[in-house]
Amino acid sequence: MQTATVNYPKTSHNDQMSTDNTGALIDFMRAIATQRCQHAFSQVFKHFAPKIKAISIKKYGSEALAMEIVQDTMTNVWRKAHLFNETKGAVSTWIYTIMRNVTFDILRKSKSSQEISISDDLWPLDEYATEEKDTFQDHLQNQEILKRVNELPNKQQQVIKGVYFHELSQEQLAQQLNIPLGTVKSRLRLALEKLKQNMGDQHD
Amino acid sequence: MINHHPKSELINAFVAGELPTALSVIVASHLELCRCCNDKAKKINQHQADDAFSDADLSLNHNDNSQENTALDNREFANHSLEDNKLTAHHLEVNNEFADMFAAIVADKTTSTPATLDPVEIKVKDNTYVLPKALSNIQRASWFKLGKLSRSNLDSSENEIHSHLIHIEAGGEIPQHTHNGYEVTLILSGDFYDELGEYSQGDFMWLDKQHKHQPKTKNGCLCLTVANDALHFTQGVGKILNPIGSLIY
Repeated sequence: MQTATVNYPKTSHNDQMSTDNTGALIDFMRAIATQRCQHAFSQVFKHFAPKIKAISIKKYGSEALAMEIVQDTMTNVWRKAHLFNETKGAVSTWIYTIMRNVTFDILRKSKSSQEISISDDLWPLDEYATEEKDTFQDHLQNQEILKRVNELPNKQQQVIKGVYFHELSQEQLAQQLNIPLGTVKSRLRLALEKLKQNMGDQHD
Repeated sequence: MINHHPKSELINAFVAGELPTALSVIVASHLELCRCCNDKAKKINQHQADDAFSDADLSLNHNDNSQENTALDNREFANHSLEDNKLTAHHLEVNNEFADMFAAIVADKTTSTPATLDPVEIKVKDNTYVLPKALSNIQRASWFKLGKLSRSNLDSSENEIHSHLIHIEAGGEIPQHTHNGYEVTLILSGDFYDELGEYSQGDFMWLDKQHKHQPKTKNGCLCLTVANDALHFTQGVGKILNPIGSLIY
């Protein structure tokens, strides 16, 4: 099996370059998304198309395939620019994700009679352009919530913990606690209202 | 609690898009269940992106100028771009070999937003399960049932690699067997145990020739499996199954 080479150490020079580019690339992406700006797209295109071609030739040794990958990738960049979320990650990461996905689908279709693209199911675009800060939960906020939950009456704690911490369904919880489903629902509602009140000073 | 995860090399190859479809699907399914591997994959994705696009050797000779200009003039272009939206490909100086491609792409004024699919639910022997999103567009054959075992072939369209959903009812087992190739199992729901340990939802196991096992389940389970060869049953009555081993896996 082939494995990808990932070189973690980076030179400070590279970091500088990519930081500079990132700001401008984000501006271009915005202009493409909001105004369908061809000029902005030409800049993104000039920056990435030759690289995508070179990467693909190096990997697959076929110029025709490489051009197909460039075409599909850049078409997606043009048509899906509105889905790019700059708060979630770098332009280059987003475009890399698109490149990998279209490549996977092109190769899969060429090897078999498959016509359905599945790459977006495997590497969801919105997820793979997401940076860590969005997926890691706020540690302090969690502690605060936990503290507030522990201040609730016991019966309300039970349902909150069951549903939100143990991820039980309300039906499962009713069964486990041996109480009617309606009681679970009303306890949950009361508990959430109380939590909202108690945390309201910071979150409303 | 998930105790068994894909190796980093496998996640690396998955993110690079280098695995066969069936293996990509099973790794993606694990990532949907496993927060830590999902975070790991995203980090690897970012590193691979940085590496791919920052590799200086990749710039083609005749593009050297445009590369440098892009870095220097980016801010300026960004400002211009907001005012001037009517340039042709020629004026945009998109490199010759890409000129036609560029023109064709921007000629399409439509945008594309992928439809969000509802999760797929399946029913096996009166149990309902929600399948991973990774399986949404993979075709499933109807269930083949043999006692407490049910199996549905997944079409990942690769000759030598077979992928299945396997359902084992509570108290069921698969006779002791080994694998001529590899056998990857992901527990989508429920749990099972064998000579090597206990496994529950989200656990991802890669077994090969050196592993002999006899999975049993107390509470029943639904698994996704990928194997590149038939199972080889090693014991007692199970041996009868060898000629039809390919039916089960």
